[in-house]
Amino acid sequence: MLIKRGLATFFCCTLFLLLAFTAYADDAATEVIDAEITLHNDHYVVSADMVYQLSKRATAALQSGVPLFWSIQIKLLQPRHLLWDKTLFTTEIHYRLQYHALLNSYRVTNQNSRETFNFSTLYAALDLMSAIHDIPLIEKSKLSLKEDYLCALKVKFDGDLLPLPLRPLAYIDKQWFLSSNWTLWPLKK
Amino acid sequence: MASEKVKLPVNLFALILFGLILLSLQLMSSATQESSELSALYSWLLLINSLGSIVLLTLVGANIYTLIKHTKKREAGSRLTRRMVSLFVILALAPAVIVFYFSMQFLHQGIDSWFNVEIDRALEDALELSQSSLDQRMRWHLKQTQQLTKKLEDSSENREALELENLRELSGASEMTLFSRQGRIIASSSINPGDILPSLPDRNIWLQLRQNGEYIAVAPAHEEKLMVRVIAKVNIQEPQYLQALYPIPVRIYDLADSVEFAFVRYKEMKFLRHSLKISFSLALSLVLLMSLLAAIWVAFISIRNIIEPVKQLVKGTQAVASGHYDEQLPVFAQDDLGFLVESFNEMTHRIAMASDETRIAGIEVENQRAYLETILANLTAGVISFDASYNIRTANQAAYRIFHIHVNQFIGRQLLDLLKDRPELTEPLKSIQRSLEQADDIWQQRIAFLGPNGRQELLCRGTPLYSQEGLRVGGIVVFDDVTDLMQAQKNAAWGEVARRLAHEIKNPLTPIQLSAERLQHKLADKLDAADAEMLKRSTRTIVHQVEAMKEMVDDFSEYAQPSKKETVDIDLSRLIQEILALYALKSGVKFKTHYETGLLMVNGDSISLRQVLHNLIKNALEAIGAEGLIEISVHRVQKNNTDFIELALYDDGPGIKDDQIESIFEPYVTTKTKGTGLGLAIVKKIIEEHGGAIWIDTSRKVGAGFIIQLPACHPEPL
Repeated sequence: MLIKRGLATFFCCTLFLLLAFTAYADDAATEVIDAEITLHNDHYVVSADMVYQLSKRATAALQSGVPLFWSIQIKLLQPRHLLWDKTLFTTEIHYRLQYHALLNSYRVTNQNSRETFNFSTLYAALDLMSAIHDIPLIEKSKLSLKEDYLCALKVKFDGDLLPLPLRPLAYIDKQWFLSSNWTLWPLKK
Repeated sequence: MASEKVKLPVNLFALILFGLILLSLQLMSSATQESSELSALYSWLLLINSLGSIVLLTLVGANIYTLIKHTKKREAGSRLTRRMVSLFVILALAPAVIVFYFSMQFLHQGIDSWFNVEIDRALEDALELSQSSLDQRMRWHLKQTQQLTKKLEDSSENREALELENLRELSGASEMTLFSRQGRIIASSSINPGDILPSLPDRNIWLQLRQNGEYIAVAPAHEEKLMVRVIAKVNIQEPQYLQALYPIPVRIYDLADSVEFAFVRYKEMKFLRHSLKISFSLALSLVLLMSLLAAIWVAFISIRNIIEPVKQLVKGTQAVASGHYDEQLPVFAQDDLGFLVESFNEMTHRIAMASDETRIAGIEVENQRAYLETILANLTAGVISFDASYNIRTANQAAYRIFHIHVNQFIGRQLLDLLKDRPELTEPLKSIQRSLEQADDIWQQRIAFLGPNGRQELLCRGTPLYSQEGLRVGGIVVFDDVTDLMQAQKNAAWGEVARRLAHEIKNPLTPIQLSAERLQHKLADKLDAADAEMLKRSTRTIVHQVEAMKEMVDDFSEYAQPSKKETVDIDLSRLIQEILALYALKSGVKFKTHYETGLLMVNGDSISLRQVLHNLIKNALEAIGAEGLIEISVHRVQKNNTDFIELALYDDGPGIKDDQIESIFEPYVTTKTKGTGLGLAIVKKIIEEHGGAIWIDTSRKVGAGFIIQLPACHPEPL
């Protein structure tokens, strides 16, 4: 009886925390403002624009030399009846943003292509990460004309790559909720 | 053994859980090192340990709840468990809290000690120095590039590419490019001939360039090196821009990089100072919390195992206290408590045996007591026992039959309390009480009293009771109703007297009478008239007296003979009516009769019963004289579960004197001037020979009253 009551309390607390997290997630600082899929040489490609907004604490951490990591997650989904969506394709673009005190500049590294970009302002650095162009999704021939498909995009702030002391706080502090929600839009054939 | 088998998995589970907790804490401790490979798992380890803490907290909470519940119910061993757990928690908590407090102090002070203003300023100064050094180099390169643009302004358009190569070599730049105003590459020269495409300025650089006319910045180059990018305007007809990339010497770059690394690292640590404290405090708190919770939980299990035999002992003791002497407890271990449990088992075994023996002995005693009580209850003799204060302890059924008092209702009270309803017993009971209190040995006495059925004679024997120590603890009185025995003895004596009288006296009477008559006959003629007359009178006197003596002897003879000669069923009411019819002519005497409805049958000799009624009526008539009232009533009574017909006869004569009441039924006792005194004696003899009883109703204050009870007869239906 007691164990049941304890478990009930535990689940209630967990649910409350999840709801709290969901509420925080609704206030996500990053947003996907535009996304489209186009057909390019028999390949569907995706282009999107995002807006990053850093909290005061995240900006302070960045100014103190703490590198910040984001990953832009792109998925092609096939909705199914009574089942979860089937993932046909998934890709991620990883960015690393760091401040260089010596040169007073911001360095963005695309960890997929190993390209590095230096910017004198934070705005310019974030601007680089704000747009993706023609990321190939899937060949047209691999898709059925009868089926409907969805494209999902999310900018995820990777808190697990923060310095260790910051990680526990990053799970509970709203200032570190820098991810966007999933944005879904249909694939037009 | 069975319980050990059950407990082993629990202990094993506890050990495994404890091991997992330690492993998890160790992993988390390792993960806090930034360089550790486990650092990626830090969040998961933190979550696992938090969940572990919650699980342990739940377990400890459940144990505390159970303990509180048991304590409230006052279950065996709960209070000892509470004390031991409290003691353990206090003993474990006190040093842990002290260590925790000082650890936190050291931790916070240690982290704070990493930072101070001097280092802060020194690092900022070092960075500023590096930046100044780079600035100086940049300004120098700008000046140098501006001079080069002058040279380019002087050179012709066709020779620009060649001139650019010369200028690059002259200036020591790694790359030099000439752009048009629109950003088109006019000419380019690089120290590395393999570089086909020169480094292009981005949109921001162009913006600055158009605003300021020149641009200078230190920018990262390939292979993580720094270079100075300088763009200066070439003022010719169609303005152009010269971009020169100057490599920064490796040594300067290394130094600047080192300074920057140290500065950034310090600044990062400074920023993380608060988080670091929280993080370490959290880890330390989690370690302490889990250790404490695990220890408390294990303490609960251990204490429960230790307390279990004590709990069993308490339960066993309670069971023994409530009379379950055959309680046997399981022996958990061969330690001191196990020895105690074994001793308890041995004790209860012995108590159970002793209890059984006592119970059996008790049953035997009870059986014997019941047997004795049965015997006492069925004794014809009355038995009354007394305690040391002479209060009645027991009395048997015969006591009631003899005294007609429910002596059993007077248990715990004095013997003289019986007098309340029976004042006629005053003297006999006082006599018994006196003997009971005074006699030191067996005593015997006869007592007589007038009971409801007439005079009763009792033979009392009593003895004081002594304890083994010789103390007087009470007494016992046994009494027999010897009324019938005494009466029988008297009757037998009178019968013998009557028989002898009849035999010894009646025989000479006839010769006496004949001799007297012969004397009269022979001498009457020979004597003169006077003598003859005297002889005649004397002879008549002799004859009359002889006749009278004959009558008397006949009466005795009749008294001595059995009266119940021929028994028949007699309707008593009819018999009375027949007899009363003979006396109806007697003027001045009234008869008042009352018969209960229904047959009032008795079994007996009708002649004898007629004689009884004649005797009683004659007596009554003689008592009342010329005028009076004789009342006769007949009804049924029940006594000792036997039906009797009771005949009551009352007159309104002078009555019987008190001193004659006790002996009125004895021969030769009479209140009349005439008569033999055998009338009532014969009546009593006949009634007793018919199984009945006769006594004088002493409650009647006017005249005399006789009550006769005869066993009722239930004639067979025809």
